[in-house]
Amino acid sequence: MMQFTESPSQPSHQITSFSIPTMNKNQIHRARPWLGFPTSKGLGSFGDANCMEQLLVHCANAIESNDATLTQQILWVLNNIAPPDGDSNQRLTGAFLRALIVRAAKSGTCKMLAAMANARCNLSIDFHTFSVIELASFVDLTPWHRFGFTAANAAILEAVEGYSVVHIVDLSLTHCMQIPTLIDAIANRLEGPPLVKLTVAGGVTEDIPPLLDLTYEELGSKLVNFARSRNIMLEFRVVPSSYADGFTSLIEQLRVQHLVYAESGEALVINCHMMLHYIPEETLSPLPNPNSNPYSFEPSSIQSLRTMFLKALRGLDPTVVVLVDEDADLTSNNLVCRLRSAFNYLWIPYDTVDTFLPQGSKQRQWYEADICWKIENVIAHEGLQRVERLEPKSRWVQRMRSANFRGISFGEDAVSEVKTMLDEHAAGWGLKKEEDDLVLTWKGHNVVFATAWMPV
Amino acid sequence: MVLCDFATSMGSSSGSSSSSSSKPLPSPQQQDIDGLLAGAGYKVRSSELLQVAQRLERLENAMGNSPADFSQLATDAIHYNPSDLGSWVDSLLSEFVQPSTCPSEVIMDPVPNQAVVSNAWTTAEPQNPQVHQNICYEQQSLNNQLTVVTATEEDSGIRLVHMLMTCADCVQRGDLSLATSLIDDMKGLLTRVNTVCGIGKVAGHFIDALSGRIYQGIGGGSVNGGSVLENEILYHHFYEACPYLKFAHFTANQAILEAFEGHDCVHVVDFNLMHGLQWPALIQALALRPDGPPLLRLTGIGPPSPDGRDSLREIGLRLAELARSVNIRFFFRGVAASRLEDVKPWMLRVNPKEAVAVNSIMQLHRLLGSEPTRNYPIETVLSWIRSLNPKIMTVVEQEANHNQPLFLDRFTEALYYYSTMFDSLEACTVQPEKALAEIYIQREIANVVSCEGSARVERHEPLAKWRTRLSAAGFKPLHLGSNAFKQASMLLTLFSAEGYSVEENEGCLTLGWHSRPLIAASAWHAVPDASAEFPAWDNQQSS
Repeated sequence: MMQFTESPSQPSHQITSFSIPTMNKNQIHRARPWLGFPTSKGLGSFGDANCMEQLLVHCANAIESNDATLTQQILWVLNNIAPPDGDSNQRLTGAFLRALIVRAAKSGTCKMLAAMANARCNLSIDFHTFSVIELASFVDLTPWHRFGFTAANAAILEAVEGYSVVHIVDLSLTHCMQIPTLIDAIANRLEGPPLVKLTVAGGVTEDIPPLLDLTYEELGSKLVNFARSRNIMLEFRVVPSSYADGFTSLIEQLRVQHLVYAESGEALVINCHMMLHYIPEETLSPLPNPNSNPYSFEPSSIQSLRTMFLKALRGLDPTVVVLVDEDADLTSNNLVCRLRSAFNYLWIPYDTVDTFLPQGSKQRQWYEADICWKIENVIAHEGLQRVERLEPKSRWVQRMRSANFRGISFGEDAVSEVKTMLDEHAAGWGLKKEEDDLVLTWKGHNVVFATAWMPV
Repeated sequence: MVLCDFATSMGSSSGSSSSSSSKPLPSPQQQDIDGLLAGAGYKVRSSELLQVAQRLERLENAMGNSPADFSQLATDAIHYNPSDLGSWVDSLLSEFVQPSTCPSEVIMDPVPNQAVVSNAWTTAEPQNPQVHQNICYEQQSLNNQLTVVTATEEDSGIRLVHMLMTCADCVQRGDLSLATSLIDDMKGLLTRVNTVCGIGKVAGHFIDALSGRIYQGIGGGSVNGGSVLENEILYHHFYEACPYLKFAHFTANQAILEAFEGHDCVHVVDFNLMHGLQWPALIQALALRPDGPPLLRLTGIGPPSPDGRDSLREIGLRLAELARSVNIRFFFRGVAASRLEDVKPWMLRVNPKEAVAVNSIMQLHRLLGSEPTRNYPIETVLSWIRSLNPKIMTVVEQEANHNQPLFLDRFTEALYYYSTMFDSLEACTVQPEKALAEIYIQREIANVVSCEGSARVERHEPLAKWRTRLSAAGFKPLHLGSNAFKQASMLLTLFSAEGYSVEENEGCLTLGWHSRPLIAASAWHAVPDASAEFPAWDNQQSS
């Protein structure tokens, strides 16, 4: 309810957030949008998160259009309303603010280091390098990864029943943290424990959190020992390979293997846990097609690495492929679109963290530092440097189908296992079954999806 | 007295060592007869003083040149109404044969006079005669022409500065004739200096300002006579082109935001609303502050707009729209006043329960005067500000000493200050912002240099002086916190050219160019008036 000292007439001009009525035709300064929100939203109940998102969007627009004055103003506001020790919305906004500053610092004539030194928040992220035990307990704190582990393991167990050799290719962001449980399950469930081969791609996520303080060789020997303690023979192999080229060297290795072992009853399991979204897709095609709609899923004439990778997987004739990833679309080439998508997804980890980590705890800092890194990557970087190229479940499903896979439904056992696991965590977590797929939810919003596939 | 001093040049014993002319020009109030000459029995209009002085000089010249005629004057001439000094001198002059070129006649083509001038004013500029030599030198050596030009340019630049100072000194001493010929010399020198940037550009403005001072005689009120709309446009472009005003806004807003913490009813009084550029950011920050938005009142003071528009109200409406869109209760009041001293505290309708912030961006200096003893509006205004009991008063002022009593001191300070500011403006490449920003600064220069009395409003004083003044008026400093410093540093580093520096100065922040502070921001609050509780006249209680 606004009151004016003089009763206002209805403004003769439409004041939207992007128009400024010029006062006089003689004025030659260019029109500048005042920081405002579209009045169509009116006086409705504005979530603070909504306002913050709007401000971030305004800021991104200002940066993209090189409007230093407007950027400065919005950054000033954001700096004041997003304290690093505030509530989850404020910390989320703070992380985006940080990313926008990094982005602004990259363009223009400023000195990045000086900006960092003067910034209110420390712009360089302090990463924690985890030990195996730390990482294991860290990923157990929340269903974020446990969900995918549980669902995937259930699908894998079902698929490899009866095989005497199980070859698991683990493409996972969490450095084989899924494997101990899987080995346990294999040891407990299967008659005549099989020979288990484990292949991982080495040197993949050296720069992407979470960081491990072991080499993969060291990790491998730990896993071998663990398997031995469960009476499982584990062969461990690291193949240096990178998402940047669609894991070509790994695929090559596997192809050779396939030729050799295909007849001997070896089950090939491809376990993808939040790794595939790093493989470049269509919006990062080498020959940019200016007419291509970044949202349409039409493979361009030059196929993206992502498409090629899935095709190559199909060529290996795997027994089962499990694809677990985060359900969000961060592939847009348009900064503002990406920002909106990211903001409307990454509020979730900030919201959940209160339920499992106390404020001020070191683990909470690590957790939020990882999210910060992700936000910075999405917002401040472009091209090859921008590696967090999440696609929603629908897109991945489409891709897999195009690559001649068909979906495998998760059985009742799998569902109840996941539910049991979720009961160990806060009440906000939930489970959705969408056709063949399982989706982890937080307060009803999609968080992580799990899908299982076999060759058509 | 404003008689021209020719003692050095003519070597004559006219001996008018009128060094009492530390007062450069008579005050503008004396529109008619010059008071001092009237006291001596001469009726000369103040507006004609310069011309009379020049004619007297010519008369002296003529007398000196032809002493024979002079003695004839003494016996035969009929002098009409000697109290009308102007026409009396004219009548005398008409008796003499005028030389075809007169060194003091400024209307004539300056170039052929240069050699003459340089001979006449031996003490003024010893290097003057060499100007011609340099020209020849340039033409001769084509090989290293570039370096010669540069060296000459640099030399010319330094020479310009010397001449500017000398000219200002002449003006201060009242030697307007010498001053005007120096102006001509400098204008000539300007043609050999790059006037697009550097010393050439700012020198041009100072030469113009000095000219303005000399030729307008009194007041020079028309020098700074931009319309309200013009001033707003120039201000806006100055805002865009360089970070000074932005720095002022961020820093003041940060202090106000922090001062308002915990208050549910807040009131900001803006001494110069302009386009309200400072306020959208504060409105948003208040609307989204962690404790929830307060009720915000904004009172904007500004000049009345011509042609029936109510620009204050227009700005208020736009701010209100913005406030509505971010869900903060907002009230706006506009107070139209041509001068800050015309504003009375009751016009601001301050509620005793609300937290008040008084925001003055480069306004307080306009209330100062020249003499330390007289009562100037600054006292009144500071006193009613204090009576509002503001939670905070944010003061941003130019960090310069442009209100010193002696003209030459002011001039020198301004020359260095505005050179630095123009240097910093070089980094801006956006047009028309840059060009208009330069005009904005140029107007300030013109006001500092060529105006006097009530027309001279750009009476900048440095932070140290404001500290003394505000403390004496019952204000205590509030330290601008580290947040303000960090924000200012970060934002400036990100978006401004290298060379700007934010510095902390005992709780105040300054923004400068290469370690010369150019603008200073400080925050204050009113000291509780102890004497209000214990009236000073009631001495019995203290014993």
